[in-house]
Amino acid sequence: MISLHTFRGTFSRRCVAATSGVRTYASQTPGNPMIEIFNRKTKHLQKDRAARNVEESRKTDYLKDEVALRLCERLLDIKRDFPNVLDLGANSCNIARALTTPNLDIAAPEGTATPALAERIAKLTCVDTSHALLHRDDELPFNKEINIHRDVIPDLETLPYQPNTFDAVLSSLSMHWINDLPALLEQVNTILKPDSPFIAAMFGGDTLFELRGSLQLADLERRGGVTPHVSPLVDVRDVGNLLNRAGFKMLTVDVEDIVVEFPDSFALMQDLQAMGESNAIMHREAGPLSRDVLLANEAIYRAMYMEDDAPGIPATFRMIYMIGWKDGGNQPQPLQRGSGELNLKDILGGGDFQKP
Amino acid sequence: MPNRTRPIEKVAKATAKCSTEAAAYGKCVLADYNSVHKDMCVKEFMRLKDCFLAASKKG
Repeated sequence: MISLHTFRGTFSRRCVAATSGVRTYASQTPGNPMIEIFNRKTKHLQKDRAARNVEESRKTDYLKDEVALRLCERLLDIKRDFPNVLDLGANSCNIARALTTPNLDIAAPEGTATPALAERIAKLTCVDTSHALLHRDDELPFNKEINIHRDVIPDLETLPYQPNTFDAVLSSLSMHWINDLPALLEQVNTILKPDSPFIAAMFGGDTLFELRGSLQLADLERRGGVTPHVSPLVDVRDVGNLLNRAGFKMLTVDVEDIVVEFPDSFALMQDLQAMGESNAIMHREAGPLSRDVLLANEAIYRAMYMEDDAPGIPATFRMIYMIGWKDGGNQPQPLQRGSGELNLKDILGGGDFQKP
Repeated sequence: MPNRTRPIEKVAKATAKCSTEAAAYGKCVLADYNSVHKDMCVKEFMRLKDCFLAASKKG
C-alpha cells in the first residue's frame, strides 16, 4: 500500500509538472500584449532629419501652428492659473508659440487687448523624442515670454514623471504616432493633479483620405497589390471610449477638418516629409515609392479629387480635439439615475408625433 | 543648399507638362475603380510615361 501511495504521489506530481509546462508554453506574456504599428526609431529619425533643415521645417509648420492656436483657444474657457503644464509631444514647441500669442480671445470685445495665455502659466515643460526638432527654435523671441523647459526623452510612450505633477497636460499633433494609446492616456491621467484637464488634438479618421485612396489605386494598377502608405488613424467614435477607459471625466470630443490646397501630389508629399510626418508604419515597404507609382498617383489624385478649374488638389486633415478631466476635487458629478424631478417635456414641449 | 533642385521637383515639373496624358490615364483607372487590377490601363500609362520621359529630358 505504502509503495502504491508513493507511486501515485510521484505520478500526480509529474502530471502537474507536465501540464504546467504546457501552460507556460501556450500562455501569453504578462501585461498587455502590445501590437507595434509604428516604428518609433524610424519616426525619430524622420523628425530629426526634417528639423535639421530649419528653413523647410519652419515653412511647413503652418498646420501645427494653426492647430496649436485652436487648441489653446480651448484653454481660454478654463478660468484658472496653471502653475505646471506639460506639452506632450511638443514638436517644435508650437503650443508655446501659441500660448505667447496675445489677443487670442476672439470673443473679447473689439479693441480690448487680452493678455497672452502664457501669463497664467508659471512653467511649461515641452517633451519630445527629437532633440533637433524640440530645440529648433531655441533662439526665437517667444522663448523669453514663457518659462519654458525642454525635455528630450527616449520614448513618448513611457513618461518619466511622478503622479500628480501637472495642472494641465496639452498635446498637439503627436499622438497619432503612439502605438499604445490606451496606456499613454492612463499615464497622462496619473501624472495630472486631481481635477486637472487634459486637452489634445490629433490627426484622425479621414485625414489624407485622398492620398490614401489614390495611392492604393496607383499601387493596384501599376503593381497589382497594395502596401500601407498612410497610417491607420483613430476614429472619432473611439476617442470617447479611450478617454473613458483611462479614467477621464467630463469628456468633450469634437472634430474639425482643415483642407489645404497643394499644386500637385508631389508638393503634398514633400511637405509631409518636411513636417517629419512621412510614413513610419512597421511593415511598410523599404525604400522610396517607385517613380511609376508616383506618376500614376499624381494622375489618379487629380482625376479623382481635383475640382474643375481649381488651381490645385485638396488634402484633408481631420483634427480630433479632446478634453478630459482627471477625477477629483469638487468636480460636478452626474446625478443619480431617476433622480430628476422635472419632466423635460414640460420645459421643451413637443413629444407627440403630429399627424400631417 | 541654394539652387539645388531636388529630384522630386524635377519629376513634378515634367509631370505637369503631360496633363493630357495624365487625364487620360486617370480617367481609365476611375472608369472601373472598384475592380482595378495590374496593367488595367497599361496603354494609357505608357503614353503618360513616354511623355514624362521626353519632358524630363528637355527640362
